[in-house]
Amino acid sequence: MATRALLHSQDDPEPARQSPEVLDSRLALSAKGLRKRYGDGAEALCGVDFAVRKGEIYGLLGPNGAGKSTAVQILTTLLLPTDGSAQVFGRDIVRDQDAVRRSIGVALQDTGVDPLLTGFEALELQSRLYGATRRAARERAHELSSMLQLENFAHRRIANYSGGMRRRLDLALGLVHRPRLLFLDEPTTGLDPLSRNALWDLVRAVRGESGTTVFLTTQYLEEADTLCDRIAILRAGTVVAEDTPSRLKRRMRRDVIELEPEDPGQVAALLRLVRRIQPAATLEREAVRVHVSHGATIAQELLAAVAGAGIALAGLRVAPPTLDDVFLELTREDGGTDTGEEA
Amino acid sequence: MLRFLEELWLLTGRSLKVTLREPWAVIPNIGISLFFLFVYDAGLSGIAQLPAFGGVPYLAFILPVALVSGSVGGAGAAGQALIRDLESRYFTKLRLTPVSRTALVMAPMLSGMIQLVAQTVLILLVALALGLKLPGGLLAAVGVVVLAAGWGLGFAGYAVGTALRSRSGRTAQAATFIFFPLLFLSDTFVPLTLIKAGWMRVAAHVNPTTYVFDAMRSLLAHGLVAAPLLRGLAAIVALAVVTLGFAVYTAQRTLRDA
Ligand SMILES: Nc1ncnc2c1ncn2[C@@H]1O[C@H](COP(=O)(O)OP(=O)(O)OP(=O)(O)O)[C@@H](O)[C@H]1O
Ligand SMILES: [Mg+2]
Repeated sequence: MATRALLHSQDDPEPARQSPEVLDSRLALSAKGLRKRYGDGAEALCGVDFAVRKGEIYGLLGPNGAGKSTAVQILTTLLLPTDGSAQVFGRDIVRDQDAVRRSIGVALQDTGVDPLLTGFEALELQSRLYGATRRAARERAHELSSMLQLENFAHRRIANYSGGMRRRLDLALGLVHRPRLLFLDEPTTGLDPLSRNALWDLVRAVRGESGTTVFLTTQYLEEADTLCDRIAILRAGTVVAEDTPSRLKRRMRRDVIELEPEDPGQVAALLRLVRRIQPAATLEREAVRVHVSHGATIAQELLAAVAGAGIALAGLRVAPPTLDDVFLELTREDGGTDTGEEA
Repeated sequence: MLRFLEELWLLTGRSLKVTLREPWAVIPNIGISLFFLFVYDAGLSGIAQLPAFGGVPYLAFILPVALVSGSVGGAGAAGQALIRDLESRYFTKLRLTPVSRTALVMAPMLSGMIQLVAQTVLILLVALALGLKLPGGLLAAVGVVVLAAGWGLGFAGYAVGTALRSRSGRTAQAATFIFFPLLFLSDTFVPLTLIKAGWMRVAAHVNPTTYVFDAMRSLLAHGLVAAPLLRGLAAIVALAVVTLGFAVYTAQRTLRDA
């Protein structure tokens, strides 16, 4: 796995030699060798490590079935790991579940709220379950419904909420006790672009105001790129890369060239042509894509060849790698991803 | 301990609140109990002339059947409430809070018990309106309510245990069909002495429901009499120990890793 070695931070400026205790006190979450084997024998996590620093927004990025939800459920005490250990602010997720539960807020990918309650009632009850007095619970419910723009629906039954409203309520429920670490499992899946942006702002605001650490999962590279301080890329239960978004992109040290023929029927001919110069070229939808170390130089060479062959181009892109490229590269290396059944 | 009671109260309160918002989930159950009372009393009351009844009016004889079927239904409601939360995934949300796991499992049972007590009182009032005489007075009525609640609790343990184990409404519903043999393989309609089939008499002797029926009937007809009452309580305790043990065991297994 050459790519893997390449992408792991070797030149990380973080002082790696500090004693473990000093390092630990700066971590909101640390996990070592987490494994999960489900009852049916499927291994969803094959030994993953996380080190999430206090106050950072940490993204776990991976395709369907990569094991993101499994990781979140283990870290939030809902599932027991088959092997490995993890601590949240130094408290063990298996031995000290109550302390962990008190310090975390969670919005899962598919939790629900009792549809017969109103949003306000759900918020109030949630506060009280964390020990708030009736009065404090009511105040907090007001506060959160205005923060998440739920006021207009707060007194309606949850059964009548739209998907986006439910998401917001779910997030509000995760925030009632002002957790120091917030877990969000695919918080923006299924949201329209406007709501997605609003949610990003909200996550940033939560981190900004109270220094809350955020651990979120996503399938969207754009989301990880704009929102997260650091990301880990998970593929089939293994973390294949972990770094800041910009450094991940830089580590690729390669540009991307994409050529799109005017006539889609010529794409195969174009691919053959490009492969003569760059054998690693791949087909990406209607375009031919190739990763190279000096984009501009190779592009000239390719363009000359294409012009010589008389293929008209509809599009040409020469660009530094996007996170998408990193992602595709990493999740492709062993012959494609586990795309999973559920979408 | 105080914290535990508070959690239990909060969760039970919420469970009752949503039950009242969807009353059609419980109304049929009360209907069935009242149906037993009306139909069997109207259709069978003549047989109470037989000496085997010892002068007990048929209304007092059949009333426990209505009460026990009602209490089983109330207990089934506890299982259904839990299933509802499992299916809506609200239960997962509750599991993420630091609330006591025992309170999580006991709250639906307690709310089922409260419904059941209200329902028992209602059925008793209907029976009084139909002309039931209570020689044992209020104490006997309270005794009957306690027996119904205890029997219901035993059943609630079973319902909640199967709900947690199966996590599916249909399976849990199917599991409550055990209620039929328990209710009918007993001295349900006539005293044991009038049952002729040998296997039925054996079944009635092993069936704990028989002792609950007898305890209630004795309370209704004669007031507090130690022997039948103690046998009834013993049957209830035996059932409750088994089913609550099953519920706690299942909860411990499934709540840790689900
Ligand atoms: N309860 C379960 N029992 C058995 N296998 C499971 C269970 N939950 C998940 N899996 C399997 O474990 C693997 C990881 O699933 P997981 O839900 O963690 O992925 P994910 O990254 O969250 O995917 P998605 O993006 O679709 O939400 C998948 O192969 C899935 O089929
Ligand atoms: Mg998931």
